[in-house]
Amino acid sequence: MKRMFWAGILCTLFLVVGAQNAPAVTEAMKKEIYDIGKLKPIDSELKVRVGEQAPDFTLRSTAGKTVSLSDFREKSNVVISFIPAAWTPICSDQWPGYNVAQDVFRKNNTVVLGISVDNVPTLFAWTTQMDGLWFPVLSDFWPHGAVAKKFGVLRSDGVAERAIFIIDKKGRIRYIGLQDINVRPPLEDIVKELDKLR
Amino acid sequence: MCKTLSVAAALVIGLCLQSSFVSAEEPQSDHRNVLMKLKLSVPENQKDREYLGIKNSSGKMSLAQIRAEVLIIEIFSMYCPHCQKHAPTANKLYHAIDSRKEFRDKIKYIGIGVGNSKYEVGIFKQKYSPPFPLFDDGAYTIANSLSGIGTPHYVGIRTDNGSKFEVFYSKSGGFTDAEEFLNMIVKESGIQRGGSR
Repeated sequence: MKRMFWAGILCTLFLVVGAQNAPAVTEAMKKEIYDIGKLKPIDSELKVRVGEQAPDFTLRSTAGKTVSLSDFREKSNVVISFIPAAWTPICSDQWPGYNVAQDVFRKNNTVVLGISVDNVPTLFAWTTQMDGLWFPVLSDFWPHGAVAKKFGVLRSDGVAERAIFIIDKKGRIRYIGLQDINVRPPLEDIVKELDKLR
Repeated sequence: MCKTLSVAAALVIGLCLQSSFVSAEEPQSDHRNVLMKLKLSVPENQKDREYLGIKNSSGKMSLAQIRAEVLIIEIFSMYCPHCQKHAPTANKLYHAIDSRKEFRDKIKYIGIGVGNSKYEVGIFKQKYSPPFPLFDDGAYTIANSLSGIGTPHYVGIRTDNGSKFEVFYSKSGGFTDAEEFLNMIVKESGIQRGGSR
């Protein structure tokens, strides 16, 4: 009887599961993303202003190198993109968009520096599943969030705000986009500001 | 007796699982309502307007205005890495439709950038050169109303040139073989039979 019972169950399972399509890749990826829910839009106080010299920093990248803001002085404009955390919904589809817009940044002689308070291995795993990014991804993990704190975008729970800083070739801050953490910054806002630097 | 019990137990479990399978299909009615009310900007490109059979050169249009018996919609996002990777395969679907003269005028294919602005959709278009019209969802209608879907997400609608609006397919995820996907759409829509599904 037991054998017949399990055989019946297996047959039914096979028929029902087999009737469905294989799970979509995106659906599978959705399972990897931790939904943090809706957060307080902004939870920090800026420590820098437009027109001021941007505080320099040196951070380790997912490529195993160290990158300093001053490396780009007199060479290119810099878009610093702070994101709150890896493996979270909006962050996971913000930087891949900058991949598509690589030509727009290049045309404006601009590099992007992506910064998160996650550690290097976490950022490496996260950006690898995005099929990689053309720009350096930097870890502000230790001392925890020190660079985010310098700019005044470290939130009370230890993650960074979703913020954009545009720095010109002289190292001056030309634009600050302190975004509601729950909303992705529109690409055209960044491009519009970059156009002003040409 | 034992045999009867086993079959009954298996059927009960099967029915439970089947009901969850059916509930996965339910959002299609929500999708129908959202998509039917959706207002999109008329394409600026004349070639796109001609492809869709849209006479106005500006303003808003609905999906029901598209001259087609079957409409395939790819809901994508410029920001979605899977949509970026899928873009060349998505383009092949257009060519697969175009290469079959029996479907060329009956099946139309568009993309809607969910939560993407016009500018962002333009960047995607520049990068991947899709031969089919792309629309933005600047008003966040899809983003807000169909928040549960993953991208890319494909929707198949039987419209019969505006006389009906029947969502027969709605699933997240792309496809690997455009011909195979087109054959599935043809079969599921019932278009080949000429009549209603």
